[in-house]
Amino acid sequence: MRIPKRFQGIMFVLPALFVLAMLVFYPIVYTVVLSVTDPAGNYVGLENFRSMIDARLTARAFWNTLIYVGFSIIFQVLIGTAVGILLNNEFWGRGAVRALIVVPWVIPGIVAATTWAWMFHTEFGIINYMAQSAHVIDQPVGWLTNPDTVLPALITVNVWKMFPFVAIMVLAGLQAIPNDLYEAARIDGARKHHEILYVTLPHLRPVLMSITLLLAIWGLNAITIIYAMTKGGPANRSLITPIQIFRHAFEFFRFNEAAALSVMFFGATALLMTLYIRIYAEKD
Amino acid sequence: MTARSRSLSVVYLMVALLIAVSMFPFLWMLVSSFKRLNELYTVPPTWIPETATWSNYLNVLLESNVPRYFLNSLVISAGSTAIALVLAILASYGFARFRFRGKSLSISLIIVGQLLPTAAIIVPLYVVLNYLGLLNTYLGLILAYLILTLPLSVFMLISYFKGIPVELEEAAIVDGASRLGVLLRITLPLSLPGVVAVVVYAFVTTWNEFIFALCFAMDSSTKTLPIGLAEFTTEFHTDWGAVMAASVIMTVPIAILFLAMQRLFVGGLTAGATKG
Repeated sequence: MRIPKRFQGIMFVLPALFVLAMLVFYPIVYTVVLSVTDPAGNYVGLENFRSMIDARLTARAFWNTLIYVGFSIIFQVLIGTAVGILLNNEFWGRGAVRALIVVPWVIPGIVAATTWAWMFHTEFGIINYMAQSAHVIDQPVGWLTNPDTVLPALITVNVWKMFPFVAIMVLAGLQAIPNDLYEAARIDGARKHHEILYVTLPHLRPVLMSITLLLAIWGLNAITIIYAMTKGGPANRSLITPIQIFRHAFEFFRFNEAAALSVMFFGATALLMTLYIRIYAEKD
Repeated sequence: MTARSRSLSVVYLMVALLIAVSMFPFLWMLVSSFKRLNELYTVPPTWIPETATWSNYLNVLLESNVPRYFLNSLVISAGSTAIALVLAILASYGFARFRFRGKSLSISLIIVGQLLPTAAIIVPLYVVLNYLGLLNTYLGLILAYLILTLPLSVFMLISYFKGIPVELEEAAIVDGASRLGVLLRITLPLSLPGVVAVVVYAFVTTWNEFIFALCFAMDSSTKTLPIGLAEFTTEFHTDWGAVMAASVIMTVPIAILFLAMQRLFVGGLTAGATKG
């Protein structure tokens, strides 16, 4: 028996779609159902949403999420782009350097988190020791226990872990820029920084756009580093929305409220996704 | 000094700084893993362990659950990678070679799967896995990890399949081969580098995953390595020597795997993520 030609394509695609539907779309629908019911399954309207919105923690977590993801992206893209441009130069050992710098990105997030937690240790951490030796600070700083330093410290770890991804993508984008463009610019008397400003960066724009959105989505997803280093503390100063959802569900066992928060969180990220799909479709 | 050699030395200086920043945490992890407890807790810290010891490694390998977690991680990552690979090969071939109704909708659905915030589906996934009796089982985590691995695997393979000339397949079809036969005998062997990239990507992603493992595997018979690392830290005490030794143990296989495959892996990933 031969399958009619117009059904062949869908037959290949169907198993993967089925699995994703069961694992992704069914849970999404189920979240919505959970969010408007109580633990006994009775319909309660928007009660769960109201109690989550009224909780002061929700606003705090939302704000923390914005700061954490926003500043992470800014530094990831800036440093990653600079490193990508740097690695596009020809120098001895370039292949090895390119391979090495990607290692922070491929190791488990939990390893990055614990290693940096040890480096940030207040009494015995190497960072306090080096900063004191260099007279940057005169007292040991409790990087992860001080409410004012905890988010910057976590952002540092996140940037360290993710900038290699940006660098590799930017490097790939750079190598797609035809060489004649640089030559033409040089003939017109352009200096190195002119080349970067007027040839390199404009060509990188589409790559940078899609990287930024990917980073935003991954950043909104990233629980591991914060959960392992501070669990959201001190005094909820590093609590981000994904961790709030996690704690509501698995520490307080309030699944319905956690589901309401998930729906709101999903709504916010859906906006980003639409944007991404738009850009993706344009390139097609 | 000429302008050219001056700019080259600036490049070397910046590369040195880059390597220092990227690699320092690993160096410090390695140094700390060989220190005894009293040396870890000294000010100023020592750059080279005064009395280097394997005791942290022995502690991790013999006294803790880490070996069991290693086995669990291996089974779960391998299982999830294998399933993702089979599904992704079929789906990507369908997307790369056929036009059909609902194709762009299907692609959008897979992108949504890729971009979905995992935090938003932990709760319902927990409820569903619980209902199916799949909490604390290998199968439960294997299935949950498909969410993370399947979408990007599909995109990586689509761009790979598209790069293989259709003419090669057409000859075989004229000779009476089925599309599945063509995929298995002609297209797939030619796509081996892409397949390897998918395998590495899926394996590394699942090997590193933390949150799903934390939520869906609460029993030591199914807990994975990242959870094992977190277990050395309790609310009141952290055995930093053991944590650093366990970190080294977790970093080395991934770093070796990646460095061995990096050309394929990076090439495949840039193709899948930006559709280069």
